[in-house]
Amino acid sequence: MARHQFAVLSLIAIALASTFWFLLDVLGTATHKSQGLSVAGFEDRFNDLRKTVLPHAVYGYLSDNPPTDPSAMPEFHLTQYTLAPAIIKLSPTEDLVIVNYHSKQLDPKLLQSNRLAAIRDFGNGVVLCRRISR
Amino acid sequence: MTLLCLAAIWLVGFGLVRWMFPRPVRWSLHNVWLFSLGIGAGAGVASCLYFLVLLLAGPRVTVLVASSGAAIAMPLAIGAALVILAAGLLTRRKGTELQWSDGPAVPWYLTAFLLLAALLAVTMFLGAVIYNPHGDEAAWSVWNLRARFLFRAAGFWRDAFSSDLTWSHTDYPLLLPGLVALCWKLAGQESTDAPIAIAFLFAAGTACLLVTTLGALRGKAYAWLAGTVLLGTPGYIALSAALYGDVPLSFYILATLALLCLQDRRPQDLHPQDLRFTALAGLMAGFAAWTRNDGMMFLVAMIVARVFAVFRFGQRARLGPQLLRLLAGLAAPLAVVIAFRLRVAGPSGLLSPPASAIVKHLADPARWIVIAQGLVVVLFTFGRFLIPMILVLALFWYLVRFQVDARDRAALATAGIALALTLAIQLSVDLFYVDNLPVEIGTSFERVLLQLWPAALLTFFLASGPLQLVASNSQGKLSKEKKAGRPQRRAVETR
Repeated sequence: MARHQFAVLSLIAIALASTFWFLLDVLGTATHKSQGLSVAGFEDRFNDLRKTVLPHAVYGYLSDNPPTDPSAMPEFHLTQYTLAPAIIKLSPTEDLVIVNYHSKQLDPKLLQSNRLAAIRDFGNGVVLCRRISR
Repeated sequence: MTLLCLAAIWLVGFGLVRWMFPRPVRWSLHNVWLFSLGIGAGAGVASCLYFLVLLLAGPRVTVLVASSGAAIAMPLAIGAALVILAAGLLTRRKGTELQWSDGPAVPWYLTAFLLLAALLAVTMFLGAVIYNPHGDEAAWSVWNLRARFLFRAAGFWRDAFSSDLTWSHTDYPLLLPGLVALCWKLAGQESTDAPIAIAFLFAAGTACLLVTTLGALRGKAYAWLAGTVLLGTPGYIALSAALYGDVPLSFYILATLALLCLQDRRPQDLHPQDLRFTALAGLMAGFAAWTRNDGMMFLVAMIVARVFAVFRFGQRARLGPQLLRLLAGLAAPLAVVIAFRLRVAGPSGLLSPPASAIVKHLADPARWIVIAQGLVVVLFTFGRFLIPMILVLALFWYLVRFQVDARDRAALATAGIALALTLAIQLSVDLFYVDNLPVEIGTSFERVLLQLWPAALLTFFLASGPLQLVASNSQGKLSKEKKAGRPQRRAVETR
């Protein structure tokens, strides 16, 4: 009987202690403000643009994130998530391109090098641009 | 409103499974088991119907709902739910009633630990989803993105599977996105409540299903223990709060194997009506394939395992009727999956490499080593336990040992082979097709093991020997059984 009790209590103790430890982590994360990517914050930034997009529309996407930045792809995915049902392509060669920038001012060189002209600035680092034809 | 929609879908599932296994409405193991199964059945049926309506009459139905809002859609849904529920409640027919299996007396602390594990799990889940209501990246970039397209795009819902979105796995089936979009459609608004509530229901349903099934097969002590271990798996609860499709898939894998285990306790020559267990197992396996592509791998593995197990351990004459019921059960969801693949789904990025690339992958010994290393590491780290759970289970086995009831041989063979084969298929797919193996191992190996975890617990505890936790009560109970002339367990030591 003691063997069985020890076996059962070992299983339960490890499971409950692990859960309790992990719970502390979860609550610790939840109660501290994170510097990471926040879906709600991102949706707020894109909210004004979202009101103007139409289903079935296709937009290009350009960001000032370096390609090696780990948040570059998640931000592109979040842009698609926020602006669905429009389709967002990771390319600045569409007629309409959404520019997502993080600096205080949009770098004009970024637009020039990609042959883009700003149509409307939605604030919060979100600009809708049109591709300049040659 | 969203929660009301989900309750209606749950009641549809409960009505359906109760129609198959009717028993009086009262507080009993049987009805808790039906309630647990009802979550998966309702979700699967609702999601399949939503997809079929969208596919066959999409824009028209979408316009109807969009123009009249939830005012029409919601009463219609609740009405349909009530009709199916009434059919389930009013059905009278012969059949099995699941009851607690004879087992050792349950000490008070087992019950207390189960309740504590449930409390901790709920707290952890709520803490995670309040902090992160959209779930982790794969949730919003795959599952909820698809749901948003289905809900927002009206007539352009097929844009969700555009070739421009292949990065979001447009070949993944639609049980979860369809269910979320249906809830939003019926509620008339989009909110994170739907995916969160669905994730919670599936996690709670899986725990309840594991507890009730083991309660019927092995008694309360093993039921409480398995429930505590599952709810005490931090990785599993975190995966549920991440709003991925893995926990719903784990529900369907567990449900399929649990139903087959129950089937083997009810020999069909004595209880021909109980082949319903196998038919419902087929339905659940079909819903597994409608949840994730991994579910299709499980479906194939389960059929192979079942054929082998019945052929080897059961009576061969039972194979035909069981296979027929299994196929009958999975026919409808499988037809939906095939329709989705042929008419809607985007190309699978995984299976696109040419044969030469696959041969190159196979011939590279480094890939085999990386896979083997990854598997060993994940086996020791999965679930985020403080001490590797595989070691604790090994200790449990050493102290309690396996003792397989002769009636459970076929069921255990089915479950063991199906789980091992599913894992082997998953590893083979990674070996053949995936280019960046270290990334794949880091992101998906643990999730694959957690998909199989509830069913693995069922298998482990079904095979374990009888527990003796309380001296006087259990001995008294055993001697009473002997005096009453009850049949003893025909057991096979596998020491």
